[in-house]
Amino acid sequence: MTDLILILAIFLALFGGIAALLMRSAFDKLICLGILTAGVVLFLVEKGYLDVAIVVSLLMPVGTIFILLLLGKKQEAAK
Amino acid sequence: MIDLLAAIPIAAVICLVLFTALDIFWKLPKQGGVSGADVIGKELEKNGGDLNGGWMIGNIISSPDASTGTIFAACSYYVWGIWGALIAIVLVYIGEHICADKGFAGVSGVVCATLIIWLLTSFAGFPPESFIAGCVIAIFLVEGISPKHASRLLGKIWRKVS
Amino acid sequence: MIVEGICVVIAAYCAIRAVFEPKTLKKLPYLNVMNFAVAGAIVLLMPYPITIGAAIAYFIGSTLESNAIASTFARLEEQ
Repeated sequence: MTDLILILAIFLALFGGIAALLMRSAFDKLICLGILTAGVVLFLVEKGYLDVAIVVSLLMPVGTIFILLLLGKKQEAAK
Repeated sequence: MIDLLAAIPIAAVICLVLFTALDIFWKLPKQGGVSGADVIGKELEKNGGDLNGGWMIGNIISSPDASTGTIFAACSYYVWGIWGALIAIVLVYIGEHICADKGFAGVSGVVCATLIIWLLTSFAGFPPESFIAGCVIAIFLVEGISPKHASRLLGKIWRKVS
Repeated sequence: MIVEGICVVIAAYCAIRAVFEPKTLKKLPYLNVMNFAVAGAIVLLMPYPITIGAAIAYFIGSTLESNAIASTFARLEEQ
């Protein structure tokens, strides 16, 4: 019963990482990194590191917002 | 006691009706409240959807709403009963204000869903984990299959009610 | 067993559909459904009171992230 969710975590981490490599647009890469983070948080909760999971999921949007602030200067990023 | 297979579809219908009614009660389809919700609504309208339904889907995506309240009421009741629901009320209230949402849609969703889940689990014999699966199925029906047709249906309901 | 199966199938389906959707703003609803399913899976993985905090922190973080992505994308396309 726990194995099924572990398979989901492996799938999400691998799939998000490979898709982030292959995407062209910068915003699509950020969405694929969101999929990767879902897998990573599931791994952390499965081992019982709940405090690390809380810190990772609270710091993920902060990193995304900094990347978005840098992207706002560029015109060609939206293509 | 009700079997788990029979309880999940009933729970899905209850969750779907509950958070659609609460979102319409708090007037979410009237305007895009947060800046991201406005954009998603206009994008859905450009692709053949409806503007009011698109604003409601955008509000569900970019700020914690009654759907968030429903799934966390189910989760926390499954973990710790009524005390878990109290924790969920406080945390959803904090999260709603982090996302710059002014209304009380999330908190009212937690309270109403906790009342309904408490009634159904203690008197009708539903297993508590059936509501987690039911709420995931309900949000999948709204956003996962086809957001274009779902926004048309939501807009039709909103115009009939208001 | 059935509840975990529903969460896993819906999360995997929506992750695949979010990656293969061509437009950026139309990826966000599928990403949101995946977040709901992953938050359910976190609670099912470890029924312990602090897990509620982890699940809510994960969900609020990903909501904030998709809000930032949508608003920045719109501001870039206007220019």
